[in-house]
This record gives sequence, structure tokens and C-alpha cells, in this order.
Amino acid sequence: MVDNINPTVHTAALAALEAGLNQALTLAPQSAAELAELAECVFALHCTSPTLDVYLQPSAKGIRLMGYHDGAVTTSVRGEASDFTELATSKDPTATLINGRLELQGDSAALIELQKILAKLNPDWEAPLVSTLGDVAGHQLAQMLRSSFSWGKQASDSLGRQLDEYIHEEARLSPPRLELEDFYRDVQQLGQRVERLQSRTDRLRKRLRALQQ
Amino acid sequence: MSEKDTTNFGYKEVEKEAKAGMVADVFHSVASRYDLMNDLMSGGIHRIWKRFTIELSGVRKGNAVLDIAGGTGDLAARFADIVGPEGRVVLADINDSMLQVGRDKLLDQGHLGNLEFVQADAQHLPFPDDSFDCVTIAFGLRNVTDKDIALRSMLRVLKPGGRLLVLEFSKPGNDLLSKAYDAYSFKVLPLMGKLVTNDSDSYQYLAESIRMHPDQETLKDMMEDAGFTRCEYHNMTGGVVALHKGLKA
Repeated sequence: MVDNINPTVHTAALAALEAGLNQALTLAPQSAAELAELAECVFALHCTSPTLDVYLQPSAKGIRLMGYHDGAVTTSVRGEASDFTELATSKDPTATLINGRLELQGDSAALIELQKILAKLNPDWEAPLVSTLGDVAGHQLAQMLRSSFSWGKQASDSLGRQLDEYIHEEARLSPPRLELEDFYRDVQQLGQRVERLQSRTDRLRKRLRALQQ
Repeated sequence: MSEKDTTNFGYKEVEKEAKAGMVADVFHSVASRYDLMNDLMSGGIHRIWKRFTIELSGVRKGNAVLDIAGGTGDLAARFADIVGPEGRVVLADINDSMLQVGRDKLLDQGHLGNLEFVQADAQHLPFPDDSFDCVTIAFGLRNVTDKDIALRSMLRVLKPGGRLLVLEFSKPGNDLLSKAYDAYSFKVLPLMGKLVTNDSDSYQYLAESIRMHPDQETLKDMMEDAGFTRCEYHNMTGGVVALHKGLKA
């Protein structure tokens, strides 16, 4: 655990997160069963900004989160919070690990397996509502929540698209992604050509010196 | 009465032989409502302190763990889950009322097979040398008559490389927090004890025994004197509680 973090606060935060995760896992029995296959693994997540260490240990009973672990670690990952978010939400975790800025030590296959299980975690939120409120009221409330979430997701996607279009096309505050990638490629090619030219001139200069002697 | 034969019981000076009986009376009186009082007194934070203790213990599958003064079995229950069927957890307490409450609670929770219940004095642990990978004592050391003897007894039963973890009330590092903590301990706690367990004296003793307990550095020195190596401590909640850890070389 990182020394400058109050152990009470750190432990309390992890306990709350662990309780939430395990509650979600009880509503998604398929994911819980898959996690049991990683029962012998311990994943160390070292976040450098903000500074935070978390150890994650899956088991048949759920996920255990720790701020301190004294023992062998299956996979250790180091990076910034944004890098971890990118990995957690990635549709292709292998590509994210290879191309991203996360530093990885140990078994990457186990980490990719864990990411896939957590990414497809789809809890059945209707079950606790139905068991508390009854079949009719529980189902209706779940439908209402589901349509609200769906509307919220659509609205957020649409807002994201419109904002993207406004920044790139209307206000021209930033060049489009493809144009930027072309520019980076051109800069990279130019850099390579300059290096080649430099080595060619070096070679010619060397030969000229040899002829003069 | 010579100085050598006395020890403290809260703020009182009592004969060494009498302390164990007096502490026993305190815990007989509060055993049935011990968990409820812990939650009320600490606002549930004692669960966070114990959770950190479990993390720092490094206990893993197959380990043998001794939880001294284990009371109602909060630590033992979690250790029993971690060590699994091939491990062993011993819940020891000097007080039979606390042990009965702990045993009933853990059996009702379904903990069976890898858990043993032993009525034992921390100063004279009835286990062979080098028996345990980890020994814990949470909120128990301050009630022990002779802490030095108890620490040496814990060292004896630990395997080489084994860890001792002492979770205990300690001295807050901040003056303001210290004053607020004093007011809470001597005004609110006895009142709470009176209302919930109809016993304010036991909670007056709790507050006094905390003040008489050695501070962080003194306890660390005591552990080193007993023979533990790589001793360290972690303050929690501003030093209200400290977790000491030491290894048997």
C-alpha cells in the first residue's frame, strides 16, 4: 500500500467498492462462475496518478480487494488512472495492453481473461426489485429504469457525436482525427527521411575525407 | 503491597493475581452485547481496522492462525475463509462467556471444520513451539496482566518467519483529536454502556485501560525486547488505533 494514504480511508474505500462489485456479481451468476476459474490469481494494480495500489483476488465467492498484499502476484500492472479506465472499457484488451501506456509484468493472459469477465458483467437488476416489491411493481419499475438508462445512453452518445462535429467541423477548434493521424504519419516519414539523409551525408563526408588523405 | 506484585486495572492499582478476575467480570457483563457495542462505539469503523489487520497479516490458503482474545470471532471468521479446509484457525479467549458467544456466532454462520475454540491465557499459551504462521490479538493486549510475558509466549508459538499482529487502541497524534477523543471516551462511552448493557463501569474501565496502554513507540520497543524483528506499526484514524506487526526470525 502507498504510505501517504490513510489506511482507514483506503481500506474503507476498497471495502465499499468490494461490496458493490460482489453485490453485482451475485446478480450475474455466469460471471461469478467464470471468476472462480481465476481463484489462484492475484492482480496488482499500481496507479501512479493518483498514487494508489490495489490488489484484486477473484474467487468462487466473489472478488477480494486489498490495499496490501504480502505474497506472489500473478500479474502486475502499472499506469495512470486513465490508462486503467481505457483497459477496463476496451473491447479489445489485448490491443489496448500492447498499444497502451500500461506497464505489465507477469501473466497477461490471466489479466485479459479478468478484463473480459468484468467487461461483460451484466447483472440482472430486476431480480432484487422483484423480490422486494413483488412481480408486478418490481417489473414495471425495472422497465422504467431500463428505458431511462437507455434514453440517457442515447442522449449521451448523441451529445458526444454533436460535440465532436461542432469542435471539428463548425468551430474548427481541432483537426479531425484522420487528418491528425495523416499529419503524424507525414512527420514520422519526414523524420525517417532526415535520418537517412543524415547518415548518407555522413557516409559521403567520410568517403571524401578518405579521398583527400 | 510491593510494587512488583501490582498492575493497573484502568486507573486503579490492583494485585496482579486479581486483574484477570476483574477483567473477566467486565467481559462476562458485556459479552452478549459485545458486537452491538463495538458497532455503536466505533460507528462501525472497527470492521475497517480489522479488515486492514487481515490484509497486513498476509495469511493465505493452508496457514495456521491463532486469534488470541478473539472474542466474538470477527477476525477468526475471515481467517477461516482465507485458509480454507487445509488450514487451521484457533480462536482463543481467556473469558468463557466471550468464547461461548463467539463459538455460537461462528457455528451459526456455518464456519466448521477448520476452526477450533480454546479457552487460554495469552501469557501461557497451551500450544507447542513453532505452531502458527500468524498470531493476532485485537483489542486484547491491554487487558493482559503481564504484556511482556504474553508477547514472549506469542513468539514461542509462532513458526520462524511467522507474524504477530497487535491491533490495539493507542495515542492520537493530534492534540485536538486527542481532546475530542477524551471527551468521547469518558462522557459518551460510559453513558452508552449504561443504556445498552446497563453497565457503565465496564465502559469506564475500557476508557481508562486505553489511556494506561503503552503508546505506539513503547509497544514497538516491547515487541523488539520480546524478540520480534522488523517491528513496525500503522496508525489508523489519527492514531486512535494502531496496528503493530513483528516477525519471528
